[in-house]
Amino acid sequence: MAEEDKKEARKKRKTATEAASKIGGMVKAAIGGTVRAKEEGKKLAYSFIVCSYDEIIRAMDIVPVWTENYAGICGAKRDAERFLERAESLGFSRSLCTYALCGLGFDQWREELGEMPPDAPWGGQARPDMMLSSGQILCDPRNKWYQAAQQFMPDVPIYDVGLPWPLYEDDIEVSEVQDYYINYIVSELRGLVKFLEEQTGKKMDYDRLSELVDLGERTWNLIWETYELRRAVPTPMGTGDAMNTMVPMVFMLGTQEGYDFFVELNRELKEKIAKGQGVVSNEKYRLLWGGGLPSWFALTDFNYFNSKGAVFPVETTYRMIEPIYRLNIPDTNDPIERLAWRWLGYWTYWYDKAKKRPGSEPDVERLIQYIEDYQIDGVVMHEAFSCRTFHLGLIWQLNQLRKIYRPIPVLILGRDGRKKEENRELPSLILESDIVDISTYSEVDTRNRIDAFIETLEQLRKTRADRR
Amino acid sequence: MPDYFAGIDIGSTMTKVVIMDDGIIASIIGPTGPEQRRLANRVMENALNQAGLPFEAITYLVATGYGRINVPFADKQVTEISCHAKGVAHLFPKCRTIIDIGGQDSKGITVEAGRPVDFVMNDKCAAGTGRFLEVISEALGITIEDFGGLAFKSRDPAQISNICTVFAEQEVVARLAEGVPLNDLVAGILESLASRISRMVNRLKVAHEVVITGGGAKNSGLVKALSDKLGYATLVPPEPLLTGAVGAALLGRDIAHKASKEGVPLEIKKRVLGEIEIL
Repeated sequence: MAEEDKKEARKKRKTATEAASKIGGMVKAAIGGTVRAKEEGKKLAYSFIVCSYDEIIRAMDIVPVWTENYAGICGAKRDAERFLERAESLGFSRSLCTYALCGLGFDQWREELGEMPPDAPWGGQARPDMMLSSGQILCDPRNKWYQAAQQFMPDVPIYDVGLPWPLYEDDIEVSEVQDYYINYIVSELRGLVKFLEEQTGKKMDYDRLSELVDLGERTWNLIWETYELRRAVPTPMGTGDAMNTMVPMVFMLGTQEGYDFFVELNRELKEKIAKGQGVVSNEKYRLLWGGGLPSWFALTDFNYFNSKGAVFPVETTYRMIEPIYRLNIPDTNDPIERLAWRWLGYWTYWYDKAKKRPGSEPDVERLIQYIEDYQIDGVVMHEAFSCRTFHLGLIWQLNQLRKIYRPIPVLILGRDGRKKEENRELPSLILESDIVDISTYSEVDTRNRIDAFIETLEQLRKTRADRR
Repeated sequence: MPDYFAGIDIGSTMTKVVIMDDGIIASIIGPTGPEQRRLANRVMENALNQAGLPFEAITYLVATGYGRINVPFADKQVTEISCHAKGVAHLFPKCRTIIDIGGQDSKGITVEAGRPVDFVMNDKCAAGTGRFLEVISEALGITIEDFGGLAFKSRDPAQISNICTVFAEQEVVARLAEGVPLNDLVAGILESLASRISRMVNRLKVAHEVVITGGGAKNSGLVKALSDKLGYATLVPPEPLLTGAVGAALLGRDIAHKASKEGVPLEIKKRVLGEIEIL
């Protein structure tokens, strides 16, 4: 295949939904928008997703520049290598987070040139006026990335937001410690508001912030309802599309555009369900994307799964919402407090369920719930070498799952109170590569693994049929 | 006329062909390597000659291994995971765990009733594969076949700490220069390799019986080291390179029998031995 043809083939990743097919254009427009906003003199902030400050920066009319998103785009366009190499030549290890490496390589180049690096993907990443970091309690690159970037942009200030939550322990009740956490998170977010007021020279409009938090909460509920539609058989939308629809979920939270996107997606999924239209015409296997950020340069692997009759009705990755009404947020008119409660509620959402199963963990309970709700036949995970945070524990989670979904017939207590023998075995596949670094990826090896996994699912189905 | 089934397993290093009726009537193992890549179809020809059969006599042919996609005369492509499971279960019906140590990858497979239920693969790094042994044997100036015998004579296996094949090679050369006896060095290398493979395989639920296949299974020192690491006695087929091809032929037989039982025509390719292009 000629090089041009290969590029063309890569561009044509097939989405199941119209809504998901529009995301590329939306992201491109958003990135172009940040460059224009800079030219218009608006304030720009380097930002990370899922930091509970979306509505705050929107209310202050600050334009977020999502640095992880831009690194992912460089990866998806298979144009990250030159930025990774540059970061490496600056002394950063290739084994660090490749989002950060890509961003640092880009920033250093842009600062050295005084303009965007040549042929920067989608116009490039605009220079920020401030950087808003937060490692939460799980991702050290989110603390260190902007600090490292500051050596190229010493005039750009950083505000680091502390966003903790109580780690799961089966003998500790969240309710016993939550006030301490809420007070801390609220003080951190108030500190952020003060910092932004100093940087922009204007005061926070709390009425507007309340409206945006309302909008954010309505968006969470709508996303949850919309994603739950994917339980349908055949499923109308897969994880490949969800890797697109995460854009309005986590990059556009607190915007009407983000909300409207999910109204449209909800309508489209209901239509597809009514017509019986699935991701594939002959749905054979329903898989759970059980963890790991995707290889942005290899999203066509989802299409490859589809070509084998396998679909992903659900994923844990980038499903960063839960229904607000289940988060036990107390009545308060303070939008900052509501953001803090939403944060804490999200991260501790599965704790109670985990406590009911000795030896379990919240992450495992979430997998079990999805396996049952979405009628899952197998679990696929991706270990991206450069993201320790997200990928640490995946194998442990699979081992825990194996204790539940054992490769032997087990007696299950049915709703009628009777015991019946069931085979609940659940094959799993671990893909290995990276989020941005394409040098870690082999299409031949990956697809060989996928082929073997599909055969395993097929064989298991035959074995179960033979047992009947 | 009896039915004949063929399995062709095109691995990264070796190409294996088996022709079966009720048992194996022909088997050929030939190199896949770059200079032979256009000759891989000759291995099939040789097997047919050995069996004394024309190609048209083959009822069904299944291709497996990394090069399976590029076999134009195969009726079906099946991954080596399914084929190894089938082939090994045929030889060892009680097998629950397979460890295949190939030229450029290694894999672990758990099996139930001859069917794979889970698997792990190491295909990104030469460490943990036959290639590791090739590199080290070249550095030591011995053959791979010598490894097992030398290792059994070791009293104090050397510790090889590097995981990377290239760095391990340097380490081995340095230890040799330090005066570490060859027997101990070889034993240390095999322990290191066994350690890497067992770490991968232990991701699965290893269960008795454990069968080792692939070129690595021919190294008695490695088999012992791996048995020790895993804590399981291990079994090795009489010809451990052939299990994938045997499984492929057996899967072909199953497909043909199913079609016959259901009264549906068997879809097969034209029986012409076209040239095989390996990726």
